[in-house]
Amino acid sequence: MICCKECLELLHDYLEGALSPNVSASLEEHFEDCPPCIAFINTYRSTTDICRAALKDIEIPDTVKEKLKEFVEKNKKT
Amino acid sequence: MGFSEPKESKAEEEQLVKSLQAGQMDSFERLANLYQKKIYTLSFNLTRNAMDSEDVTQEVLLTLFKKIHTFQGRSAFSSWVYRITLNATYMKLRSRKKEQSISIDELLPSFNGSGFQQERTQDWSENTESLLFDNEVRETIQKAVNSLPDKEKVVFLLRDVEGLPTENVSEILELTIPAVKSRLHRARLFLRKKLASYFDEYKTRKEMK
Repeated sequence: MICCKECLELLHDYLEGALSPNVSASLEEHFEDCPPCIAFINTYRSTTDICRAALKDIEIPDTVKEKLKEFVEKNKKT
Repeated sequence: MGFSEPKESKAEEEQLVKSLQAGQMDSFERLANLYQKKIYTLSFNLTRNAMDSEDVTQEVLLTLFKKIHTFQGRSAFSSWVYRITLNATYMKLRSRKKEQSISIDELLPSFNGSGFQQERTQDWSENTESLLFDNEVRETIQKAVNSLPDKEKVVFLLRDVEGLPTENVSEILELTIPAVKSRLHRARLFLRKKLASYFDEYKTRKEMK
């Protein structure tokens, strides 16, 4: 049976569905008996989700939007 | 985790690029509207400085306007814009004092001799969305991403935050696909561990209240 280390090294490809069915199956077999790995996968996935949510919704401040608009207008005319 | 753009918007964008190349100035305004938030967000996530991001956004829009004739369509237009954004952002960062970054290896998972996990892995994945209402949590996440080494950080921002496909990230950064995947995986492992220690401590603190 493969160990946690091997599973976690392959985690990126496993989640993207990029592993061969055999390798995928051995990972899943390992996960069935390994709660720490399940917790690891869940938190690995959550890391992406929570970081995206925290960093994605950056709004350009209104004053900057206004300046950019003027800047675009000015350059359009040149 | 695929986030491909709808076909119609891509065709519309191609049309805008062509008409700007042909001298249609109105297209500049529309392209600027399409891209300014993406440029500002990427730059802000790399600099964490509003003034720098404003400067970068202006510079990129100006480059886009002045150099549009040099865009030959060999890569996606968005890749071209992201590349210009990264160059302008790195120029800004270079003019600032370099902050000490920690080694990524310190935060990768650790295993015993038989390859089993050594750390106690708490599952904090449930209800993390609701935690985002807490400013302290948001700031911690921003700081954690900011503390990633540059090579991993840019891959993480383009792939996981902007949601670009691996192929586009590889095009923008001129890296092979395996290199993009490996840097992304290392970035996620690093962040996961940082957030794990934080959420452990956060939970204990909340329970004590």
